[in-house]
Amino acid sequence: MHNKQSTMYKLIYSIFLLATISGFSQPRLPENYYWQKMDNGLEVVVIENNKVPLATIEIAVKNGAYTEGPEFSGLSHLFEHMFFKANNDYPDQEKFIRRTEELGMIFNGTTGEEKVNYYFTFNNDSLEAGLKFMNSAMRFPIYRKEDMEKENPVVDGEFQRAESNPQFLLYFEVQKKTWGDLFTRKNPIGDHVIINTATPEKMMIIKDKYYYPNNSILVICGDVKHEAAFQLANKIFGSWKHSGFDPHQKYPIPEFKPLTKSDYFVTVSSIAATPYMMYQWEGPDYRNDSAATVAADVFSTLVGLNSSKWQQALIDKGLATYAIFQYQVLKYVGPVYAFIAPNPDKIKECHEEIMKQVAEFSKPGYFTAGQIEDAKGILLRNQIRNTEKPSSIPNQMTNYWASTSLDYYTDLTKNYQNVTEADIRRYIDKYLNNKPFVAGIIINEEMNKKYKPEAYFKQK
Amino acid sequence: MKNRNILFFIISLCSLSLQSVAQSEPYEMTIEGVKVIVHPSHNQLISVVTVIKGGVQNYPAEKQGIEGLAIRALTECGTVNDDKNSFKDKLDKVSGQVYGNSMMDYATFRLNCVLTDFDIVWPLYSDALTSPKFDQKEFLRIRQDAVNMIRDSESDPQNAIDKYAKKVAFRGKNYAKDPDGTEAIVAKLTVDETKKYYKSVLNRGKLLIVVVGDIDRNLLQENIAAMLKKIPAGPAFNNKKEAYAPAKATFSSTKKDLATNYIQGITGAPLPGTADYNAYQLAMNIFSNKHFLDVRSKNGLSYAPGAWFAGGSTSTTNIIVSTTEPDKYKKVFDTLVSKLKKDGFTAEEVKNEKAGYVTSVYYRQETNDAQANSLVNNEVQFGNWKRSITIKEEINKVTLEQVNAVFKKYMGNITWVYMGNPAKVNPALYAPTSKPLPKSTVTPAKKN
Repeated sequence: MHNKQSTMYKLIYSIFLLATISGFSQPRLPENYYWQKMDNGLEVVVIENNKVPLATIEIAVKNGAYTEGPEFSGLSHLFEHMFFKANNDYPDQEKFIRRTEELGMIFNGTTGEEKVNYYFTFNNDSLEAGLKFMNSAMRFPIYRKEDMEKENPVVDGEFQRAESNPQFLLYFEVQKKTWGDLFTRKNPIGDHVIINTATPEKMMIIKDKYYYPNNSILVICGDVKHEAAFQLANKIFGSWKHSGFDPHQKYPIPEFKPLTKSDYFVTVSSIAATPYMMYQWEGPDYRNDSAATVAADVFSTLVGLNSSKWQQALIDKGLATYAIFQYQVLKYVGPVYAFIAPNPDKIKECHEEIMKQVAEFSKPGYFTAGQIEDAKGILLRNQIRNTEKPSSIPNQMTNYWASTSLDYYTDLTKNYQNVTEADIRRYIDKYLNNKPFVAGIIINEEMNKKYKPEAYFKQK
Repeated sequence: MKNRNILFFIISLCSLSLQSVAQSEPYEMTIEGVKVIVHPSHNQLISVVTVIKGGVQNYPAEKQGIEGLAIRALTECGTVNDDKNSFKDKLDKVSGQVYGNSMMDYATFRLNCVLTDFDIVWPLYSDALTSPKFDQKEFLRIRQDAVNMIRDSESDPQNAIDKYAKKVAFRGKNYAKDPDGTEAIVAKLTVDETKKYYKSVLNRGKLLIVVVGDIDRNLLQENIAAMLKKIPAGPAFNNKKEAYAPAKATFSSTKKDLATNYIQGITGAPLPGTADYNAYQLAMNIFSNKHFLDVRSKNGLSYAPGAWFAGGSTSTTNIIVSTTEPDKYKKVFDTLVSKLKKDGFTAEEVKNEKAGYVTSVYYRQETNDAQANSLVNNEVQFGNWKRSITIKEEINKVTLEQVNAVFKKYMGNITWVYMGNPAKVNPALYAPTSKPLPKSTVTPAKKN
């Protein structure tokens, strides 16, 4: 009796204790990953990995291109740049950078479609100092007009560098045509005019909408102990105020419209020393069809096998130097795309072969059961490779946190192994087979005259 | 078939026979006259790198690109036991990576796989290195791909200006050769001459092997010995080091219709093994931060201004920037360099940079491949792979005085090259004896 009571007491006590600590249900996580949700809503994940005596900390925010209408296009990105400029504790960039030097820090930030992140790597004994530094930049930024006037052309310069690359020009045009009126919601790099006329007030609008603990995650990865890391996180970020609302309910993301017809274009540019072709479909997203997002990865891996019909027809036969086929998982319509460097002498044959391959995706015999298993074997081993570099793990994990969920991240490798041929066929039929797409080619003037892609790079 | 992946998963979780007697400390051994360096990894992956020393010293300028093509042929043109498709299909089944690169000072041929797949991947790797078939049909395919990739590389302005800078700075010297080759040269290389070239460099005198992984020493030794027995002996490679010291600043430009302009500067730097080397590494790291601060943060002139020290058979100091205001950039650069030469760096800056350097050393050791690169580089350039481990202590011995002295010594005449709109730049600012360029007729890139 006594034992039974004691056991029951322990059980109830444990449940109560869990509720007190987190107040939230635990996500599934890999071994050596630890999770807490603070009272202010900030999720904290600690990953113990002692490969080298370093620690990497990252804060990711559910912000980025998908939150931007035309009047804010590129400002999540500018905001990310301004993070490294000035804050209450380090009031100018010289002082900010000096602090990074004192901590011997490697640091950066990125802006994507559905995530903005900031990450620092330093010696593991600087964890507390690193977290304090992150806290200052995240919560107490200073936006001065003069700082922004200096930073606007820097962000614009990043854009100009991209525009000096033909692959980017092609990619950019394909995005415009795929996403139409909502293009800005898929374009993290933004718009020249909006970037160059940005103001501190616009930065504050972004901060007030999205930069809250309940819209963010903190990841601490490296040669650290989770109990101590959680304590530090609570001590330093505990006073960060919850927004009191869910930013994505208050500022909903509009739905992307499905493509209604295929669209082809030819861009002539002197900077394309060799031509490139891109084809893009609107694929599945996590909200509406998470099973298809998993099948999509298995199919892309399968298409990448040397033995696949795609590789044999395009690479083995010398029609292209490379022919990438990929899917990007997102919360709001993930793209499926093929990016090809055709052999210039065989652009027409290459394009026709791609069209033939796509038409055959859904036919029986296009891929074999053995190829599905090979693809799964690759994805199984990819997990080992993906977790080899400790400083890269937070970024990978937060991509999934922002666009899917931590459970999705944890279960992904296992779920790849459960994908069936029927799952892949359902994905192909629903998103690729006879579905409209955007196709573009970028080519220089000389090759354009010689190979005349306008004649065959069009809807038949 | 499904059982294969389940079996793999189970084997990976169990303790591995391959690693059961692996050593926990790095070591070296000599097998068939070749130095083999082994570093444990404490993970489930293994990385093997075979180095063929020499790089651009191994071929004449009129054959540049031949080594890169030969290395690519090893995995793309079949072996004695497998045609190309059979070779690649076997690798795909275990996600094995076998590939190579030709660089300025050496070529590498690499293996990376999960340790439990080593017995499948190793024979493929060994066959490719020692018994490649150089199938004519496949060779013609990869030669065309190599030409396409040269054009691909030219399309990326950052690659293009780097190649342009090296061509201008090292005209007539080994470092002017591009391991990727030129379109004109690569398009004419024949399978026979490429095969003959590969045979000429594949000898044990030129080889070094680095392994990063938890693999049993005896097993490794057996496999490597069997592989090396198929490779002929050869004279020890004698690396020719050539310092770069331009007599005056120069400026060269090429017109390109870009949305911005690219500028790269090259000058000399200490050679590996010299007393100035570590101090200059710190000096350039601090300079890089200051350059970033002045160019980007204080003046908003560029998104990614870069400055770095590249140690090698010809060591170089490199500066790169993309900017719409090249003249303003040069003034900022000159002011910064003059100030540093006059006032020097501070003790605090040197102390901080040492901490940053230690972080970057560990950061480069997070993966087996990166660790292998570090061991290879230290062995080839310094004849001392252990420097990869001891560098943290060596860097800490550098003094402020040494850092200031080497910065003054090497940051001298710069060979500048420019790519973009020539009307935007005043060459005289870069090289005082240069004449202004004619007005540009550049038009922006057409976008439909």
